[in-house]
Amino acid sequence: MSKASKMWAAMVPWPKPAGGRRYSACHFCDTLHEAHPVEEGASAVCQRCGVVLYQNRWASMARASAFSLAGLILMSVGHLFPFLTMDAAAMRMNLSLWGAAAALMREGAPILGMGILIFTVLAPYLLTCGMIYVCLPLMWGHALPGARFVAKWMYRSEQWNMVEVFLLGVLVSLLKIAKVADVTFGVGFWAFTGVMLCMAGAVAGIDREELWDRLEVAES
Amino acid sequence: MSGFVKAADRGLAGCHTCGLVSPEKLGRCPRCGVVLHTRTPNSIQRTIALMLAAAVLYIPAHILPIMTIMELGVVEPNTIVGGMLYFWKSEAYPIAIVIFTASILIPLMKIVALSWLCAAATGYVKPSPPMLGRLYFVTELMGRWSMVDIFVVGILVSMVQLGNYMTVVPEAGALAFAGVVLLTMFAAMSFDPRLLWDQLDKQ
Repeated sequence: MSKASKMWAAMVPWPKPAGGRRYSACHFCDTLHEAHPVEEGASAVCQRCGVVLYQNRWASMARASAFSLAGLILMSVGHLFPFLTMDAAAMRMNLSLWGAAAALMREGAPILGMGILIFTVLAPYLLTCGMIYVCLPLMWGHALPGARFVAKWMYRSEQWNMVEVFLLGVLVSLLKIAKVADVTFGVGFWAFTGVMLCMAGAVAGIDREELWDRLEVAES
Repeated sequence: MSGFVKAADRGLAGCHTCGLVSPEKLGRCPRCGVVLHTRTPNSIQRTIALMLAAAVLYIPAHILPIMTIMELGVVEPNTIVGGMLYFWKSEAYPIAIVIFTASILIPLMKIVALSWLCAAATGYVKPSPPMLGRLYFVTELMGRWSMVDIFVVGILVSMVQLGNYMTVVPEAGALAFAGVVLLTMFAAMSFDPRLLWDQLDKQ
């Protein structure tokens, strides 16, 4: 067997934690179900309200790690280039996330500046780095120290990641400025469009129940 | 009563973070260490309080300017509605509709939807839970898009700094509006949809 296929073969499927019968409670209507393993590609649905209880997604850990890694690289590249470049009155202005946050802090709106940093820099970094830290070793059934702590904060940062909203904001601003100056898209904008897609792919890749079952087995 | 057993009926709680079902009397989830609750404590009170705060802030958020544009010495305060009308008048209809939806409609709809959900969870109105469920998930999903106007302010303040020719300064309305968005997001998070089904089973 080649090295690559050995690595592939060592990847573990969704393990079943020890400790006998497991239950699952619907997070929407609280109906109690016995939790049976589902095969890859299938999902368990609440019998009362129809909400998905958990699903076994295809190559979930690999997909989450790959998308997160791609997202992290794009994000780091994106920070080096402007989102927009504006030429007006013999001046050239560039837009970056840090620049927007710094301008708000300087012009008397420090809370909004902090908000931009939290929603578009901190939360995306927490989410991608957390996913790589937790999901990549879990592909082979390992958990790094503090993986549970990281996984918890990763989930909390998920809804505060607003990269896609910021990109919409860039488009609206572009239309506003285009009347008074020449504006062009920069590499940063396209890189962050990629970040947005990667994040969506990474988050859609994993199931909460699966991630924590894997963590539980890996640490026992 | 329906034929379904709820976790809470057996003293079990599904963990908010990791999903593990364990007895509530353990206090904390044995798997991830988060505090266990069969139902979010004071869910309705918290939701109503946050929602009322958001509704109050909604007024200054739209009356006060979110930014001031200074062009060749002319000072022009910009409100959210003003910005939307500007795009509408310059025939940029799609963008005017985006701003209208994100900044005016979604916060209002969230406040109305959450009031409706709170009324349903306490038994004042009796619509079907699946319909309410869809309403709840849509409310949770849409809230974040309201932040777009705050980002626009940040972007314009950072880019349009052309000395005497044209500058943009953030104003108090932006802070108030950010407050509306955050408060409605927290309100949606503190609402426990399981209460809707408890109410249904009681009847």
